Amino acid sequence: MNLNEKLLGAIIGAAISAGAFATAADAADTIKVGVLHSLSGTMAISETTLKDTILFMIDEQNKKGGVLGKKLEAVVVDPASNWPLFAEKARELIAKDKVSVVFGCWTSVSRKSVLPVFKELNSILFYPVQYEGEESERNVFYTGAAPNQQAIPAVDYLMSKDGGDVKRWVLAGTDYVYPRTTNKILEAYLKSKGVAAEDIMINYTPFGHSDWQTIVSDIKKFGSAGKKTAVVSTINGDANVPFYKELGNQGIKATDIPVVAFSVGEEELAGIDTKPLVGHLAAWNYFQSVKTPENEAFIAKWREFTKNPKRVTNDPMEASVIGFNAWVKAVEKAGTVDTDKVIDTLPGIETPNLTGGIAKILPNHHITKPVLIGEIKADGQFDVVWKTKDLVPGDAWTDYLPGSKDLEADWVTLKCGNYNTVTKKCG
Amino acid sequence: MQISASRLARHLFLVLALVAGLLARPALAQDISGALTKLTADSYADTGEAIADLATSGHPRAAVIVQAIQDKTLEFDAATKTVAIRAGSGVVDAATGETIAAPPAGLSPVRVNNRVRSAIAAAMGALTLMSPDPAKRREAAEAVFKSRDQDALPALEAALAKEKDAAARTALQTARAALVLAKTGASEADRLAAARTIRERGDQDAVSLLRSLPADTPAAIRDAAQAGAKSIETSLALWNSAQNALYGLSLGSVLLLAAIGLAITFGVMGIINMAHGELVMLGAYTTFMVQEVIRTHVPGLFDWSLAIALPLAFLVSGAVGVAIERTVIRWLYGRPLETLLATWGLSLILQQLVRTLFGANNREVGAPTWMSGSIELGHLTLTTGRMWIIVFALCVFVGLMLILKKTAAGLQMRAVTQNRSMASAMGIRTPWVDALTFGLGCGIAGIAGVALSQIDNVSPNLGQSYIIDSFMVVVFGGVGNLWGTLVGALTLGVVNKFLEPFAGAVLGKILVLVFIILFIQKRPRGLFALKGRSVEA
Amino acid sequence: MITHFFLKGLDRRVSLALLLILAVAVLVPVLNLVVPEGSPFHLPNYLLTLFGKYATYAALALALDLVWGYCGILSLGHGAFFALGGYAMGMYLMRQIGTRGVYGDPVLPDFMVFLNWKELPWYWWGFDHFAFAAVMVVLVPGLLALVFGGLAFRSRVTGVYLSIITQAMTYALLLAFFRNDMGFGGNNGLTDFKDILGFNVQADGTRAVLFSLSCLTVAAGLLISGGIVNSKLGKVLVAIRDAESRTRFIGYRVATYKTFVFVVSAMLAGIAGALYVPQVGIINPGEFSPANSIEAVIWVAVGGRGTLVGPIVGAVAVNWGKTWFTGVLPELWLFALGALFVLVTLFLPKGIVGTWSDWRAKRKAAPPSDPTPAPVPAE
Repeated sequence: MNLNEKLLGAIIGAAISAGAFATAADAADTIKVGVLHSLSGTMAISETTLKDTILFMIDEQNKKGGVLGKKLEAVVVDPASNWPLFAEKARELIAKDKVSVVFGCWTSVSRKSVLPVFKELNSILFYPVQYEGEESERNVFYTGAAPNQQAIPAVDYLMSKDGGDVKRWVLAGTDYVYPRTTNKILEAYLKSKGVAAEDIMINYTPFGHSDWQTIVSDIKKFGSAGKKTAVVSTINGDANVPFYKELGNQGIKATDIPVVAFSVGEEELAGIDTKPLVGHLAAWNYFQSVKTPENEAFIAKWREFTKNPKRVTNDPMEASVIGFNAWVKAVEKAGTVDTDKVIDTLPGIETPNLTGGIAKILPNHHITKPVLIGEIKADGQFDVVWKTKDLVPGDAWTDYLPGSKDLEADWVTLKCGNYNTVTKKCG
Repeated sequence: MQISASRLARHLFLVLALVAGLLARPALAQDISGALTKLTADSYADTGEAIADLATSGHPRAAVIVQAIQDKTLEFDAATKTVAIRAGSGVVDAATGETIAAPPAGLSPVRVNNRVRSAIAAAMGALTLMSPDPAKRREAAEAVFKSRDQDALPALEAALAKEKDAAARTALQTARAALVLAKTGASEADRLAAARTIRERGDQDAVSLLRSLPADTPAAIRDAAQAGAKSIETSLALWNSAQNALYGLSLGSVLLLAAIGLAITFGVMGIINMAHGELVMLGAYTTFMVQEVIRTHVPGLFDWSLAIALPLAFLVSGAVGVAIERTVIRWLYGRPLETLLATWGLSLILQQLVRTLFGANNREVGAPTWMSGSIELGHLTLTTGRMWIIVFALCVFVGLMLILKKTAAGLQMRAVTQNRSMASAMGIRTPWVDALTFGLGCGIAGIAGVALSQIDNVSPNLGQSYIIDSFMVVVFGGVGNLWGTLVGALTLGVVNKFLEPFAGAVLGKILVLVFIILFIQKRPRGLFALKGRSVEA
Repeated sequence: MITHFFLKGLDRRVSLALLLILAVAVLVPVLNLVVPEGSPFHLPNYLLTLFGKYATYAALALALDLVWGYCGILSLGHGAFFALGGYAMGMYLMRQIGTRGVYGDPVLPDFMVFLNWKELPWYWWGFDHFAFAAVMVVLVPGLLALVFGGLAFRSRVTGVYLSIITQAMTYALLLAFFRNDMGFGGNNGLTDFKDILGFNVQADGTRAVLFSLSCLTVAAGLLISGGIVNSKLGKVLVAIRDAESRTRFIGYRVATYKTFVFVVSAMLAGIAGALYVPQVGIINPGEFSPANSIEAVIWVAVGGRGTLVGPIVGAVAVNWGKTWFTGVLPELWLFALGALFVLVTLFLPKGIVGTWSDWRAKRKAAPPSDPTPAPVPAE
C-alpha cells in the first residue's frame, strides 16, 4: 500500500470517527456555550479579553448553580484573526460541538463571515462590539453600540458649548467599513447641522499605520484656520498608539484640537504614556471609572478571577456581560435552550448594565444604552464629563444615509430585519 | 499635595501681576464671592465664567484659585456654598487662605473639562503677562494671540511698555498686532502696521488671522492683509517641502534601523531571516522590562532607561540569534530558501511565546523627558524623539561599518562570508564566526527594537509590521552592501513621504511597492550591486 | 497526441493518487447525502465544506509545486493568484444576489449602496454572466502572471530576489484591495452569497457538487502537471531549476519556459480560488496576505516538493492539523505550526512523499547500495 493511500485513508477514517464521536457525545448534562474570539493573530490584542470575560461569566453562573439546573460548559476555539476561519469555526461550534449560543467576533468582517453559517444552522450569536449598523439579523444580537449610540452623541457634545463649540471637523479613520460608514453618517449629520463642506476633512489610513507625521501635521494645519477644530477618530486598535504618540510629540493639546475616539478604551491606553493626552476624549457606553456599586463589584470579582489586581475593564467587556446575562434570563424564561424559543424570548428582556441603567433588548436585536463621553486622565482611565440623560435605543438603520433611512428592523411584529417603510415590503 | 518652591514663586508673582492689573483697572471691585458661588454650581459653563470673572477681578487670591482648579485641588460643597483648596491633609478657604478647621463632608473637586481648561489658559495668559520669567511672558503673549481676547489689550500694552527681553517683546507685539488688526476702532495706519507685524510672523496662524478680518474692515487694510497672507503661503509651501523631506528622513531612519540587522544576516550571510522582525520585538520588550524594573525600584533612573536597555536588548536579541544559528541555521547554509521557511516558523514560535508570557496587549514604554516634545525650527516642527531616532540610526550605521571594516572580528566575518574554505584554511574558526555574525545582526535588530518602542506599539505583532518593508529596503539597496541599505532606506522613506500628500498613505505605499518591483526588473541586484563571481553563487 | 501527453505523466504514484482522489470525489458526497444521518458512516455537513476547502488548498499547493518543485521559482505570492480567482468568482456570486440584498438594489451590491456609489464601476461589468466570470477566473491571474513573470524572468530576477518581489506583489495587492475606493468591498470583501448558477450555495447538493468539482480540479491539475513534467518541456524546466545559466547557454529561452509554467500555475491557483469562495462563503483581502502564501509553501515542503502528489498530501495534512489544533489546543497552534516549519526543513527536506520514495528506493536497491544520497534540488 502506498503512503498517500494510507494517509488519505487515515484522514478519512479520522474524519468519520470524529463526526460519529460528535453525535455520540451529545451529553445532556451540560449546556454548551461557544466562544469565538481570536486568540492569535492581529485581533488577539482585543479579543482575548472578551474570551476571558465569557469564561468568567460562565464561572460565576456555575457558582450560582448554572442555568435550568445544568452547568454551563465553555467551548473555546481560535479563529486566529482569519476571517474565513471564523466561518469554519462557527460551523464547527454549532454542528459538531452543538453549542446553544455563541459569544464572539470583534471586527465587522468576522461577523459578516459567520452570518451565513448562523442563518443556515439556526443558532444565536451575541456580538459585543460597537459597529457601523446597517444590519439586523434574526440570529444575531448586537450588544455593542450602533452609530446613534456613540458617534452622533459624541459630535453633539463637541458642538455644544461645554464640548468647546467645535466648528471644523477632521474625520480620521482606518480604511475599513466601520469608519467609512460612520464617517458617511457623521458627514451627512454635520451638513444637516449647517457645517460647510470645506470645514470637514476626511482622511483614511491603512490598518496598523505607524507613521503619522504627515497626517498629524495636516491636522494641525487644518486646525489653525481660526475656527475651533476637533478630530473624530475611528482609527482602529494598533494604529492608535503611534497616532497618539505623534499627537503628543507635535504638541497638539486637547484644549487646541480635541480628539474624540470611538475605538480607544482602557485596554488600548494601557500601552501609552497618557500624560500628554489628558483631555482627549472617547465616547463609549461604559467606562471602568464609572462609580456604581454594580461596576465596583464587577471589577473586584473580575480581578479576582484573572488573578491580576491591575486588570482593566472596557466597553466591549460590558457588552459581553450584558449579552451573557440577557441570554441567561431568556433561557430561564423560555425554560429551554431551543434556538427559536430563545430568539423569540430575548426581545424585551431587561438586565442591569454596569453603569446603573437597564439594558433592554429591543425588537431590532439591538439594546438600550447610555452614552458617556470621557476625558483621558493621566493614569490611563477616563473621567466622565458628559452623559446622556436617558438611555438611547440602538438604531440598526441610520436616518442619515439615503439607502437606509427608509429601512426598519423589527423581529417581533414585522419579523423582518430590513422592512422598507416606503414600499411596505420586507427586503 | 506638596507645592514646589517654583510654583510658590509663580503664585507670588501672579499676585504682583494682579496688583498691576488692579492699578490699570481701578473701577473693578475686588469682590469674588459671585465667582465663587458660580464654582459651586457644578457646571462647566459656570466654572468657565467664574474663571473669567476671577481673572478680571484683581483679587489677590484669584491666581491661586485658578491654579487650584487646574491642579484639581479646588473643592466645593454645594450645600454650604463652601469653596476650599485642598492642601495636604487639610483644606484652606479659597477666598481667604485660612485653614478650615471643620470642612463640610460634601466637599468634592470642581470638575474640569476642555472648556474649563481653555478658560484657565486664557485667564493665565492675561494674568502672567507680567511674570518675571521671559519664557512665561512669551507663553502668555502666545495665549493672548490665540484667544484674540480684545479685553487683554490694555494689559498687553502695559506689559509691552516694560518689556526688555527681545523675544518676549516680539511675541507681545505680535499678540498686540493680532488684537489691533481686528479692532474696528483702531486707526488705519495702526492696523496696516499690525498687518505687517503679523505678516512677519509668517505661519499658518498668521494666514488665518489675515484671512479672517471683520466684515467692516476698510478695503486698504483688507488688501494688505490678503497680500500678506499670499506671500506667507508661498513661503510656507517651501517650508512644507522641507518638512516632507524631514518626515521622509525620519521614516527612512526607522526603515534603516529595522533593515540594517537584516543587511548583515541576509546581505552578508545570505540567510533570509524571517524572524528578524521578532528579534526587533524582543528588543522592544526588553526595553519594557527595563522600564518596569526602573519604575518599581529606582524611578530616578527613568531618563536613563533607554541607555540601560540598549546593551541589554543587544544581548537578549543577540543571544537568541546565536541560539537560532547554532540549532537551526547552521544546518541550512547554502539553502537560502529553506532558511526562509525555518525562520518563518521560528518567527511564529517567538510571537506566540511573547504572547503567552506577556499577554496579547500592548505594553507601555514611556519616553524619557529628553525624547518627548518637539522643537520649532523656523516653520518646521521637529519631534525630538524622531530626531533622536535619525541620529541614532546613523550612529548604528557608522558603528556597524566600523566593526566590519576596522576590527579583527569584522575582518574574519567578511573573510568567512566571502570564501569559507579559504578562511578556514587560514585558521579562522568559521562556525564560531558564523554564529557571531548572525548574533551581531540579531543584536542590532534588538537595538532597533529599543528605538521603535518609542514610536510604535510594543505588542507581539510589532515585528510583523516591519519585516516586509525591511526586506524591500535591503533588496532595493542591493544585497551585501551596507551603503545600499542606507541609501535604500532613506530614498524609500523620502519618496513615500512626498507621495503621501498627493496619493494618500495607502496608495503611496502601493506605489512605492510597485516602484520597487519595477526597479528590480531594471537592476535585478539592487541599487548598489555587488560585482564579481560570488554574485552568481 | 493529447492523450499521449497525459498518459506519459501517469507514473505509478500519480495514477494511484488520481484514483484515490476520484474515489474521494464520489465517496464523500455519497457518505454525506445518501447515508442516513443516524448511521456511523454518515459524513456531517461541516466536514463536507471543510474537505472542500482542503481540496482547493491542495490544488493551490499543486500549482505552487509545479513552479517551485520543478522550475525552482519559489513564489511567495501565489496566494495573490488564488485570491484573484476567488474575487472573480465572488463578483459573479455578488451579482447573483440581485434584489435580495438588504437594500434591495437590483444592480449595486450592498456595500456600494451604503457607501453611496451611484453606478456599477466598469470592472464589474459582465460579471453577472457565469461564463464571463469563469473566463476571468483564469484570465486575470494568468495575465498578472504573464506580465509579472514575463518582466521578472526576462530581467533574470532569480532566487531570493524573485521570492521577495512576489511577496511585494501580493502585499501591494493586499493594500490595494483593502482600499474601499477600489470597489471590492474593502476589508469586508464579498460575502452573503445566495446562488451559483441558480442553485443555492448553502444547499447540501450544491456543496457536494462543489466538493466533487474541487477534487476533479485537483485531479485535472495533477494530470496536466504530470503531463508537463514528463514531457520534454518538463525536462527543460528541471534543467533550469538545477542549472539555469547552463540551460541558457545551451540555447533554451529560459525566460519563455519559466513564464509559461508560471502562467499555467497561476491559472490553476485561480481556479482553486474560484472554487474556494462559494464553499467558504467569503472572499476578502486577507487572502492576499503574504503569510497565507508562505503557509502554502510549507504545505508543499511538508508533502515533498517536486513530487506532485506530495503537495496534496501536505496541504490536507497541515490543514487538518490546523483545524484540530485551533479547536482543541488553540494556544498551542502557532507553536505547532512554527515547529512544523523548522522540523520539516531540518529533518525532512524532501517532505513526506520524497522521504518515503527515497526509503523505498533504498530498500529495493540491492545492498550495499550507493552511499551518496540523491541530489537535493538546488534553489
